[in-house]
Amino acid sequence: MKKYPKPIPGDLAMWIIIFAELLVFGIFFIAYAVVRINNVDMFNDSQLTLNRETGAINTILLITASYFVVMAIHALKNNTTKKSSRYLYAAIASGSLFILIKTLEFHDKMSAGIDIGTNTFYMFYFLLTLFHYFHVILGLMILFVVALKTQKGHYNANQTHAMETAGSYWHMVDLVWIIMFPLIYVIR
Amino acid sequence: MNKIYNIHTVWLMLVLLTLLTYGLSYIDANDTVIMLILMVVALTKGVMIIRDYMELKGVSLLWKIIMYGWITVVSLAIVVAYLLV
Repeated sequence: MKKYPKPIPGDLAMWIIIFAELLVFGIFFIAYAVVRINNVDMFNDSQLTLNRETGAINTILLITASYFVVMAIHALKNNTTKKSSRYLYAAIASGSLFILIKTLEFHDKMSAGIDIGTNTFYMFYFLLTLFHYFHVILGLMILFVVALKTQKGHYNANQTHAMETAGSYWHMVDLVWIIMFPLIYVIR
Repeated sequence: MNKIYNIHTVWLMLVLLTLLTYGLSYIDANDTVIMLILMVVALTKGVMIIRDYMELKGVSLLWKIIMYGWITVVSLAIVVAYLLV
């Protein structure tokens, strides 16, 4: 018997958006690496001023938020909607901590007189991380709406489409950061 | 997913790989070998997110080609650009 592929998780329109977002981030990443070829010392010296601790903590926060989203979807599929909404709120808490830490990092840099015009490295740093920052905020807003609706009983084991759509977007935000952390903060 | 490789252990592995990346950042990362290890770690984490978090295991080939293709092309392009220095 022919085995058919399983359906994609979430809405097709969201996946089109995800592909477009990944294309844009991918071009930015490659542009960073290519521009660095002729500015290695400046990129390496500037990179050393970044806080690797907060970068690593933020990576763990996003990974953990994504884990909670997966657990929320599993809980919904088991028809435990209260548990599902609690997982989503845990994911929102992790993601919000990411935003808080990143905001403090931006504040720290700007207080030190560093901004997007300081040099090419910082132009990429602010452009890439701010662009990602806004995606995290949008992801949090989507998760919050889904969490509220889940809490109110709008979804159940037969209606997982919205949560899977929100989850797919959130995992994309996580995936992008997985490349961004070593690229901007670590690799020299 | 099985008893050992499940969503909980995937999360644990992702955290441990992040700590490995952080630890390697304090070794002289100008080294090509360190750069390659860091990119392989990032690629591995990306594949785990696509496969296990996004749950794309078993979906149509087109989706897999786009997602795994994206992470592979981006990682390879970064490695090549770093090797050109």
